[in-house]
Amino acid sequence: MSGGALPGLPPADMLLVLAVILPLFGLLPLLLLGSRLAERLTLLVLAAGLAVALGIGAEVAAAGQAATAFIGGWRPPLGVGLRADGLSAVMLVMTAVVLCATGLYAMTGPATPRAAGERMPTAFWMLLLCVWSALNLVFVAEDLFTLYVALELLTFAAVPLVCLDGKEGQIEAALRYLVFALFGSVLYLLGTVLIYALYGTLDIILAARRASVSPGLVVALAAMTAGMMAKAALFPLHLWLPPAHSGAPPAASAMLSAVVIKAPIFLLVRFWLDLAPESLAVKVGPILAGLGAAAILMCSLVALAQHRLKLLIAYSTAAQIGYLFLMFPLAAAASAWSALAWTGGALHLASHAFSKAAMFMAAGLIAEAVGHDRIKGLTGLGRALPVSVAAFGLGGLSLMGLPPAGGFVAKVMLLSAAVHLGNWWIALVILIGGLLAGGYVLRVVVPALQRPAAPLALRPVAGWREWVALALALVAVGLGFVPLEPSAYLAIGRPASWAEGAP
Amino acid sequence: MTAGTLGGSDLLLLSAILVPLVLGLAALKPWVRRWGPTLALVAPLPALAAVLLVPVGQSVLLVPAPFRLTLALDAPGALLLGGAALLWLLAGIYARAYLKDDPERGAFSVWWLLTMAGAFAVFLVADVASFYLAYALVSFAAYGLAAHDDTAEARRAGRVYLALTVLGEALLIAAFVMLASSVSGANPLIRDAVAGLAQSPWRGAILGLLLVGFTMKMGLFPLHVWMPLAHAVAPVPGSAVLSGIVVKAGVIGLIRFLPADLPLAQWGMALLTAGLFTAFYGVAIGLTQSHPKRALAYSTVSQMGVVAAVLGAGLAAGDAAAPSLAAFYALNHMLLKGAMFLAVGVAMASGPRHLRLVLIGAAVLGLSLAGLPFTGGALAKYAVKAPVGEGGAGILLALSAGGTTLLMARYVLLLAARGKGADPAAGEAEAPPALLVPWAVLSGVAVLLPFALFTPVTGLGLGGLFSLEGIIKGLWPVALGLAVAALLYQKPPKVSEIPAGDILALTQGLRPALRGLLSAAVRLDAGLRHWSSAALALVLVMVALAVAMGEPQWLQPLWP
Amino acid sequence: MSAETLFGLAAAALCAIGIYGLMVGRGALARLIAFNLLGGGVFVLFGVVARRGAGAGFGGDPVPQALVITGIVVAFSATALGAALVERLAQLRAKGGAPSEEPEADT
Repeated sequence: MSGGALPGLPPADMLLVLAVILPLFGLLPLLLLGSRLAERLTLLVLAAGLAVALGIGAEVAAAGQAATAFIGGWRPPLGVGLRADGLSAVMLVMTAVVLCATGLYAMTGPATPRAAGERMPTAFWMLLLCVWSALNLVFVAEDLFTLYVALELLTFAAVPLVCLDGKEGQIEAALRYLVFALFGSVLYLLGTVLIYALYGTLDIILAARRASVSPGLVVALAAMTAGMMAKAALFPLHLWLPPAHSGAPPAASAMLSAVVIKAPIFLLVRFWLDLAPESLAVKVGPILAGLGAAAILMCSLVALAQHRLKLLIAYSTAAQIGYLFLMFPLAAAASAWSALAWTGGALHLASHAFSKAAMFMAAGLIAEAVGHDRIKGLTGLGRALPVSVAAFGLGGLSLMGLPPAGGFVAKVMLLSAAVHLGNWWIALVILIGGLLAGGYVLRVVVPALQRPAAPLALRPVAGWREWVALALALVAVGLGFVPLEPSAYLAIGRPASWAEGAP
Repeated sequence: MTAGTLGGSDLLLLSAILVPLVLGLAALKPWVRRWGPTLALVAPLPALAAVLLVPVGQSVLLVPAPFRLTLALDAPGALLLGGAALLWLLAGIYARAYLKDDPERGAFSVWWLLTMAGAFAVFLVADVASFYLAYALVSFAAYGLAAHDDTAEARRAGRVYLALTVLGEALLIAAFVMLASSVSGANPLIRDAVAGLAQSPWRGAILGLLLVGFTMKMGLFPLHVWMPLAHAVAPVPGSAVLSGIVVKAGVIGLIRFLPADLPLAQWGMALLTAGLFTAFYGVAIGLTQSHPKRALAYSTVSQMGVVAAVLGAGLAAGDAAAPSLAAFYALNHMLLKGAMFLAVGVAMASGPRHLRLVLIGAAVLGLSLAGLPFTGGALAKYAVKAPVGEGGAGILLALSAGGTTLLMARYVLLLAARGKGADPAAGEAEAPPALLVPWAVLSGVAVLLPFALFTPVTGLGLGGLFSLEGIIKGLWPVALGLAVAALLYQKPPKVSEIPAGDILALTQGLRPALRGLLSAAVRLDAGLRHWSSAALALVLVMVALAVAMGEPQWLQPLWP
Repeated sequence: MSAETLFGLAAAALCAIGIYGLMVGRGALARLIAFNLLGGGVFVLFGVVARRGAGAGFGGDPVPQALVITGIVVAFSATALGAALVERLAQLRAKGGAPSEEPEADT
């Protein structure tokens, strides 16, 4: 077993297991507790989980190699291995930060009287922890079947989040999401069984070592990739995303749009960078990027035409997912620039998570204060809710790819790689996508800065919740101060192998 | 040039940017914002001190590689920074009085300070990423100045401005990415990146994008459409800094990013031609305007055409002196145009008796802009003759000075109509000193400062200018312009006013097309989000992936 | 035809029916059933894979069997969740009294 690389921290393998089971252990007592207590306990678990994620990040950085854990001490192929490389650690920390912010945002304020009830039902807090456990498992598991279970757990936790209020439209959206996601999962499972049949192992690293191009592998990869695209709502498989993400309560939308959607994309990265032979990855890259480009162009245009703020943000998510798919042909190319594309993609993923969570939270507060979220009725809001509008605007800044936001650095990295690898159409799509994002963000922000025709009648919202949204937006902006070069941290533990960690 | 030890002058350069930036951000808090108009007076002082105290050529590496955040004070930057700081200070004093009854003056000063920070930064930064950041800051913050009055007109102007700004940012980032990639390492200095341009495989694309991106900010035809809209709707001091300073972000962009000693004949000629055309076009449309601010905005379009022509001529010849000369001309325009905008507010507050004095002042400013001998403007015109030469372009440049004279005559007439002259009750009304004094000081500086700077910048003596030949060369375009103006005044031709933004009207046809595109996208999206089509798409995606990986035999003819 | 081939073909047929059901199925319930058919096909495939392991001299590969059991449990829970949502939706619609000529046409 590998010991802790840093003095004073528990060993890395323990942290990996903790990251997965801590939320689950936190979940159990919630069944017994009253909802106010459940809230407070969840926040404690969130804080502890954030510490665990940061601990993993620090261990990975200090050791300079991936952290590994083997359940029961059995190494693959006999046992199941958990492994966190640089990318996994980034995802873990990102998820922890977003979910902690979501928890704070959804919390009932200390000043609220007991009789007023809680903002969110106990079920929300249970689902939050469940989502977290599933996400962490997706980020550290190396076993295809464990990943299947994690994905299903994620779906089962995410679907009820969509219909927490139990309204008819929400349940329709949830059902739509559930059924399409189930088809995605089962396609993934089909790929898993084919890979097991071919290579006799479920471990991604071992399978990758044995993988050679064969019809079975081709079908397996096609099924798994299509399944993950369905779960990631990549255009044209996005039928469930707009109603689900726009209909959910704002705290749930923030979670779904910021991190839940990233799990299948993370797995796609795993498949195409770790599992599939490079010869196949090169051939598939253009298809993934082509769909990504279509997502950027189409969904941004549709976002421009929306009349409701939350739908606009949801379509913007569908568009921004496209950028992550543009990364594949760039990152798969055997060139020094692919490392830059890879860093840019990861950075885009993280900055989108922060900015989108901030935007959904801000939109929720705006809807709470104004009583609706029609974009037409938001003129002059900047004076009434300056912090929320600032959070929305700064999040939008990152989406537009303007400095000094994280989205800017990510865009420059992807653009540089695209230009150098000769993928001019990708560069063009990135630029047009930025213009369209500018259109749909400014459509909201500019009227908000104008003076209202009539004074707005507003219900009060808690100021600290606005600051939570703004803090997340500022994190997205802060990512803009990442140096414009391939990240060494993301390269830790790549290419993936089980070499690290003493047997 | 180490990051560890920052000397006094390094700190001064840094504070030139940081002081307005920090004050601007602090003014987001309401209790600070109340002091906004006063803070706006403090903010330009470090920049002014930096220009006076820091030696030209100073450069400071604030954050080492890979960030390479670098400030540098070079000759063109120092000229523009100094002029900008001065104009900003005087316009700030003016704005404090001009907006004293405006309940939104706090918000105005937030935009004011942020625009100032961006403008100072754009003149000072030396690395590519910081330049882009500064350029974005000045561009987007200027929106707040232009749209301050929040009328329907201002909203439209703001929309057009933002749309073109976002487009410009996209063009520039594409250019910067290609430019920076010829240099190893993250975020190169602009100088190093431009040095790599000669070998770049994408030289044409980079130059094209840079020219379009920066000339959009300068308002070169046909990308000038936002300028008459935005500059005319802003409050008077806002117009002064927009037209005086913010457009210079485009000028400094061209100065920094065009290779100084690499002759690029075709690109240079293209820029020269576009500049000369714009110089006349701006005059022609400006003459039809009925509001002095719009006439001035078109004059800015025309003058930036001249600057572009100078830079184009320099680019074509690989003339390394042209950028400094263009900056000198831009400085002259900055101060004069600022003073002329401030004059509009002064005139509007003046009764008949004082108005006459104001008009005389404005006329002197206008004649200086046209290059009347013995004014500062004449020096600027003389300085830019060298790169353009004496040929056809030189004659056209001289003729454009005649056009400027004509437009300035129109401006003075419009100004007279704006005063309270028609109002008998106004009688002895006089603009308050807080408006009058900054305007008068700025006017004096604008007309005289070029005399002090001419020799240090151009390295020429003043002798040639005061020879008989020099005087005649400066005088005939102005005389011609005045003669035409007199003719037109006698027999005004029946020309209706061309709406500000002129060719923007042509894009009206695009609106239905855009709406059609959007609704088509919505319909397509709705169709694709049906279960049956999504399920089909899922299967097709799977098949496509498998086919791409398998490359089956029967597809061979289709496969590249 | 060996048993493996036969079961493999059966699995493929089930998968095909499931995907077809997804494409043409009307209403959420029909699609849930289609999902179960597709899932059934995949599980049969697991069985075939387990049987292939017997070729190496074992009585059968236990790993896929364990996976199938887990998979069935997961699919069952998914179906239960889906059915619960369908029922809740039907209740809400009945209460709303909306005239629904095509009740679950596009959910």
